[in-house]
Amino acid sequence: MLQNLVKSVWVPMKPYYTQAYQEIWLGMGLMSLIVYKIRSADKRSKALKGKIFASSKGGGQKTPSYFLRTRCPMA
Amino acid sequence: MNENLFASFAAPSMMGLPIVVLIVMFPSILFPTPSRLINNRLISIQQWLIQLTSKQMLAIHNQKGRTWALMLMSLILFIGSTNLLGLLPHSFTPTTQLSMNLGMAIPLWAGTVVTGFRYKTKASLAHFLPQGTPLPLIPILVVIETISLFIQPMALAVRLTANITAGHLLIHLIGGATLALINISATTAFITFIILILLTILEFAVALIQAYVFTLLVSLYLHDNT
Repeated sequence: MLQNLVKSVWVPMKPYYTQAYQEIWLGMGLMSLIVYKIRSADKRSKALKGKIFASSKGGGQKTPSYFLRTRCPMA
Repeated sequence: MNENLFASFAAPSMMGLPIVVLIVMFPSILFPTPSRLINNRLISIQQWLIQLTSKQMLAIHNQKGRTWALMLMSLILFIGSTNLLGLLPHSFTPTTQLSMNLGMAIPLWAGTVVTGFRYKTKASLAHFLPQGTPLPLIPILVVIETISLFIQPMALAVRLTANITAGHLLIHLIGGATLALINISATTAFITFIILILLTILEFAVALIQAYVFTLLVSLYLHDNT
């Protein structure tokens, strides 16, 4: 199946993927960087909200350990 | 009613598994690969349409720009077919999702900008200042041109999303209004039904026009940078 895929897709498209679309690959890298930044910011804000909610429910409660593993938002 | 209105834009799933990828890949089935010198009617018509569109779209481009011919034709075919399939009742339209349209707009726009800076650096930098600008206005105009450059992918994505989403919402609303008016006043329901028919015809046109506009703008950005 892989041989068929290489023959039918990679061989005809090789000059496009390797030469013509170099800048588009760079654009895809930029887009994935933006997606990563947005998702990590969302995760961080949800963790912060969870900590605020937990501390408002009861001061003696242990904060979730995943929060301790995330970067400090002030850093 | 509010939940029903936006339910068609939710990510579809079947038995708990997301099927967005299958829906995105579905339009490619409608464009079979030509395997013979003289093909059947469907492939012949598709080839004729693609030749007509590509001739018109690539006329302005030089040799460097024409290396993007496959990308531009794939883009217009994908967006056009996805938008048209979305007009079927109860179907999911991937181009109503901003994430999808940003996923198309950002790499293509960035590709054109990087192409410009790579092969024609001076000309690309010169785009930030229009010719004949008065000296006192230069700083503010450079800022405005930079902002307008970075707005381009956002505008591309939001234009497509908003047009398709708005059209679907209108069809949903007017269809609901027609159903609701049947028991109240048959004449008003009939008029609303005529409006629905006209709106559906408009949405067919909008589906194709938006595909053309998206591709044409990417083509123009490429032309500015090659």
